Amino acid sequence: MSFFSVRGLSAGYGKKTVIENISFDIKEGEIAGLLGANGSGKTTMLKALCGILPHEGSCVLLGQPLEEMSPRQLAGLCSYIPQRSGISIDISALDVVLMGFHPRLGLLGRPSQKMRQKACEMLKLVGLGGREGENYRHFSEGQKQLCLLARALAADGKLFFLDEPEGALDFCHRFRMMELLKNRVKKEGKAAVTSLHDPSLALNFCDRLLILSGGTLRFILNPKQDSPKKMQEKLSEVYGPVSLHRCRNQRGDEQLVMLREPQEGKETWKL
Amino acid sequence: MKLFMGSPTVKTRIFCAAGAALLLALAAVSLLTGKYPLTIEGLWAGDEMQLRVFWTLRASRTLVGVVGGFALAVAGFVYQTVFRNPLASPDVIGVSSGASAGAAAGILFFSGAAAVTVSAFAGALAAVCLSLALSALDRFGKSGTIVLAGIAVHSLAQTALMCLKLTADPERELASIEYWIMGSLNGISGYSMGPALWLCAACLVLLFLLHRPILILSAEEGEARMLGLSVGKVRFVVLLAATLAVSCIVSLSGLIGFVGLLAPHGARLMTGENDSGTMLLGGLLGSVLLVWADILARTAAATELPVSIFTSLLGAPFLVFLIFRGRQGT
Repeated sequence: MSFFSVRGLSAGYGKKTVIENISFDIKEGEIAGLLGANGSGKTTMLKALCGILPHEGSCVLLGQPLEEMSPRQLAGLCSYIPQRSGISIDISALDVVLMGFHPRLGLLGRPSQKMRQKACEMLKLVGLGGREGENYRHFSEGQKQLCLLARALAADGKLFFLDEPEGALDFCHRFRMMELLKNRVKKEGKAAVTSLHDPSLALNFCDRLLILSGGTLRFILNPKQDSPKKMQEKLSEVYGPVSLHRCRNQRGDEQLVMLREPQEGKETWKL
Repeated sequence: MKLFMGSPTVKTRIFCAAGAALLLALAAVSLLTGKYPLTIEGLWAGDEMQLRVFWTLRASRTLVGVVGGFALAVAGFVYQTVFRNPLASPDVIGVSSGASAGAAAGILFFSGAAAVTVSAFAGALAAVCLSLALSALDRFGKSGTIVLAGIAVHSLAQTALMCLKLTADPERELASIEYWIMGSLNGISGYSMGPALWLCAACLVLLFLLHRPILILSAEEGEARMLGLSVGKVRFVVLLAATLAVSCIVSLSGLIGFVGLLAPHGARLMTGENDSGTMLLGGLLGSVLLVWADILARTAAATELPVSIFTSLLGAPFLVFLIFRGRQGT
């Protein structure tokens, strides 16, 4: 039995179908990266996976269909980090992280001292230690994103859904965020589905890459097993001419780097 | 530093204590202010006339001022948080216009202040139920749908009010309708206010208990759902409780403008938070504002003035201040 299994997923807005007939599986301890050009359906797919968007098909986590779960059950198992949080009121960073405990509390319940301590620990883990009382609304977009990551980590679900979590982060924090996610997923037997803008980040941190184009799942790549040449060919079909190179940092750790190659003929923009 | 989500900081507690002290002082002034002079010595000595005025007129009037201002402010706080709109109030789902139409019907077709109160409450309740029922037709339960449904119900109630005004006797009934709409705490008796105040208090307690889910409702709907909240159901309960609390007050006092806007924003400006302490502080500021406005309404002129004149005099400049402040959220 796979950890998370998706079959025949189709979703859209109104009568317009954005993603169609998507199927894939994720094993325990894996991170699946969603890659694709703008408008390829990455955000729609994530929203459909976690039931925010009505959809056709099935999403089964550990044998339980997500579609049959109540919001509380779903939130107890899955954590979601949106592209941007809609929180626009004056609220402390600590209170934002404490929202992650809601599935474990009754409607009228209050977070315990232990939960508060854990929330502070998670804020420290993402680099926001000592800033618990600061106004979330006054944070930069990157800090807000880290705060939402702390909330997702505090919620301690089995499966993470992340929508371009690196979008507002600087070079250093992008790697830090993905390392945190990877550690959590591998060590605690969880899994994650994350859409990413940066293919290099996806190539180095994800166990499999789901390449979306035009609302369909074009390829599934396995960066740990597939040859760079094969991945280069497939990624070029989505991003235009690119090349993949294996490089080593000063410690000798290997990393895959994607470079843009010159386009033959006149390049046109089409989204 | 705070201990729990939504729990008040030390600064908020100090502001709340100061607000409560100010409210107590104003309530004492309100109890002794009016056409018939009351003195502490007279009340202490058991002067029968003074005691009767105190219990039948002043105590009920002051109590409605305190509870009414508190309810209008807390409801404003809740609406602004849930709709993520700093200018939101229970009016957006047609409470005021429903209550006005109900009161007009009461003035035209029934007799007595209690009948007008009950009729105004029924009008407000009908408007709320219609707005929420119409919004429930949207299976995605978006908050924008509630606002649109509210606008439709507001227009419907305004049309009903205009029709009722057209049939009213211009000398007597029309003047009563207009005076009711202007809002006043004059003429509130202990007999008519009892059930309304109990219901209002129950709704307020529920809103304070639901403060944490209310904060989660301030996130995007999808995000709130993924935090484990049954968004549609909780929002329905929260809005129903906030609106019922306002309906109870409006049915007693008529329309009172700007308290629901002024008090919660004033509290947020003071604390810089949206925690339960700020909600309480907003309520206390609402009580202070309404009791103070009611004292002015009784003393500013030889004849009693509508209380809304004074709440609006304070509220309108504050609204301009909020607009120029750049709408930095709620």
